[in-house]
Amino acid sequence: MSDPLDELAAPDVISGGGEDFSAFVVSRWPGLVRLAFGLTGDRWAAEDLAQATLARAYVAWRRVSRADDPDAYLCRILVNTSNRRFRRHRVAEQAGDPPDTAVEGPADLVGERAALLAALRQLPPRQRAVVVLRYWEDLTDAQIAVTLGCSPGTVRSQLSRALAKLRENPVLGEGEPG
Amino acid sequence: MTSLEDDDLRQRVHGLLEVVAPPVAPVDAIIRRGRGIRMRRAGVAVGGLGLAAIIAALVLTPPAAPRPPAPPAPLPATETAGPGGVFARGVADGHAWRLAVQNIADPGYRCIPAITVNGTDADPVVPSTGHYADMALGPAAPGIGFAFLQLPADVRQVVLDGQESLPATTAAVCGLRYRVVGFAFRLAHPPQITVVARPGWPKLRATAGGAPPDGPPVYQLPPVSSEPPVPDTSSQTDGIWTNVGPPGAETAQGVIASGPTWSITLLFDAGGDCYNFGAPLSPGNPEVGTCGPISTPDGPETIVALPLSYPPGLHNAATGYAVQVSPATAHLRATASDGSTQLVTPRVVDGRRYTAFVIGKSLRLTRLTWLNAAGREIASTTALPQYGYTQFQP
Repeated sequence: MSDPLDELAAPDVISGGGEDFSAFVVSRWPGLVRLAFGLTGDRWAAEDLAQATLARAYVAWRRVSRADDPDAYLCRILVNTSNRRFRRHRVAEQAGDPPDTAVEGPADLVGERAALLAALRQLPPRQRAVVVLRYWEDLTDAQIAVTLGCSPGTVRSQLSRALAKLRENPVLGEGEPG
Repeated sequence: MTSLEDDDLRQRVHGLLEVVAPPVAPVDAIIRRGRGIRMRRAGVAVGGLGLAAIIAALVLTPPAAPRPPAPPAPLPATETAGPGGVFARGVADGHAWRLAVQNIADPGYRCIPAITVNGTDADPVVPSTGHYADMALGPAAPGIGFAFLQLPADVRQVVLDGQESLPATTAAVCGLRYRVVGFAFRLAHPPQITVVARPGWPKLRATAGGAPPDGPPVYQLPPVSSEPPVPDTSSQTDGIWTNVGPPGAETAQGVIASGPTWSITLLFDAGGDCYNFGAPLSPGNPEVGTCGPISTPDGPETIVALPLSYPPGLHNAATGYAVQVSPATAHLRATASDGSTQLVTPRVVDGRRYTAFVIGKSLRLTRLTWLNAAGREIASTTALPQYGYTQFQP
C-alpha cells in the first residue's frame, strides 16, 4: 500500500522530448482537442488547452510514460487545467462556433449540434466536465470522481443537475422519445 | 420530456465532437511550451536573461542576505491549537501571520470547516492525511508563501530545511480534528520538508531536489507564485489556495442573482468563490467566469467584477458584480456612474451570504454601500474593481 504522502510526490525532473514523446503527442492530439472542445466550446481555446495539457505531460513525461493508464492521466491534466483557467480571471469569448468543417447531413442536425454546444456552455464548468467525461469519454462515476477530485456522489448530483438543465433546452427536447 | 436519455445524449455529444477536425499536432510548439514550464518551475525564467547573465548579475551585485521568514511561534507542549484554532503563527518580513482552522459559515448555519490565513482567505478542507496546500497574498505579503500540510497521527513533527522543527498540531473545528503543520516561506525558495514519524519509524523527506538513489521517498513543494493572473497556466491567483492531495470538501453552488436574460451563479469549493456571469439569450451568448478568495464572516469581503468584455469597456458590455457579505449586512446598495442605485439583498448559499448585481453597458460601478437591518449605513467604498477582485473590510 502506498504512503498517503505520496500525493506530494515531486514532479518528474527528467523530461521527455525524444521520439516517444513526439509519437505520443501525434497519437493523442486529436482526441485531446475534441475533449477540450467539449469542455470549452471554443475551437481555439480547445487547441490551446490541448497544447497546455501535452506541455504538462512533457514536463512529467517520466511519470506519464510509466502510468498504467496514460490517457486517464492526460484527461486529468486537461480537466484540471481547464478548471484552473476558469478559476483565474478569464473572460470567455463569444460562444464558440460549431466546428467549421464540412458537416454532412440535414440542416437540422447542424442546428442540433449548435444547440447542444450552446446548452453545454450554459452549464457551470464542473457540470459540463461531468457530461463530457460521461458521454464522450464514457467514464464511470468513480473514474470521473478521480479525474475531477471529488466524490462519486458529487459526480452523480452534478450529472443529475446538468441533465435537468439540458432537458429544459427546447431544441434538445424535441427529439424522438427513447 | 423523455427524449434526452443516456443513449440519445451520448449520440448527440459524439455527433458534436466527432466532426471537430484538429489541425496537425504542433509537436515542436508543445515541447517548447513544456520546456518553458520546466524553466519557470526551476525559477530561472526571468525575462530574456540567460542563465549566464543572471549569474553575472549576482556576482556583480551581491544581494543583501535575505532575512528568512520568522519561524512559527512555539506551540504548547500539548500540541493542540491555540485560541481561535490557530495552529501556526509568525512574522515574515514584518508581516504578522497566523494559520488557523475555523468555521467560515455564518452563525446559525451548517458548520463549514476551513483553514485560513489571518482570519480570511479560507481553504475549505476536511481532515485528510497527505493533503498539502499553499498560497500567496500578493501585495499584502510580497514574496511570502503560506502552506499547511495535513499529517497522519503517527507523525510528530516536520523539519524545514533541516533546521526549523515544527510540531504537528491537532486543531478541532466543526467536530473534526485536523493534524496539521503550517509555515511561511519565501516563494523563491520553497523549503525542504522532512516529515518525522514516531521514534523507530523511518524518516520521510521532502525536498526541492530529485530523489537520491536508494534514498527515502522525496517530495517537492509545488511551485507557488504571486504573479498577477496572466495567460499562463503555471501561476496562481493571490489569496486562492492551491491544493495538492486527496479531494477536499464538497462543493456548494447556487444562483445568487438573475434577470430575464442573465444569471450570476456561485460555485464554492476549495478553488475559491467562483462566479459565472452568463447571458445565454443575448447575441453571442456571452459568459465570464472568475474566482476570488473565500472570505470569512469576520474578515474582509471580496468584491469580484465580471465584465462581459475584455478589456473592460472594449465592447461596451455589462459587468456583473458579486460580493460575499458578512452576517450584519442586510442590503448592499450599488451606485452607478449615472447616479442610479440598486438595493441588493443577500442570498444564502450553504450558510454563506452573497450579493450580486449587474451594471449595464456604458456605466461603471462608482460606490458600494453596506446597510444593516435598520437601513443604517455600515460602510461604503469607491475602491472597486473593473475586473478581477478587491477586498474590503466594512
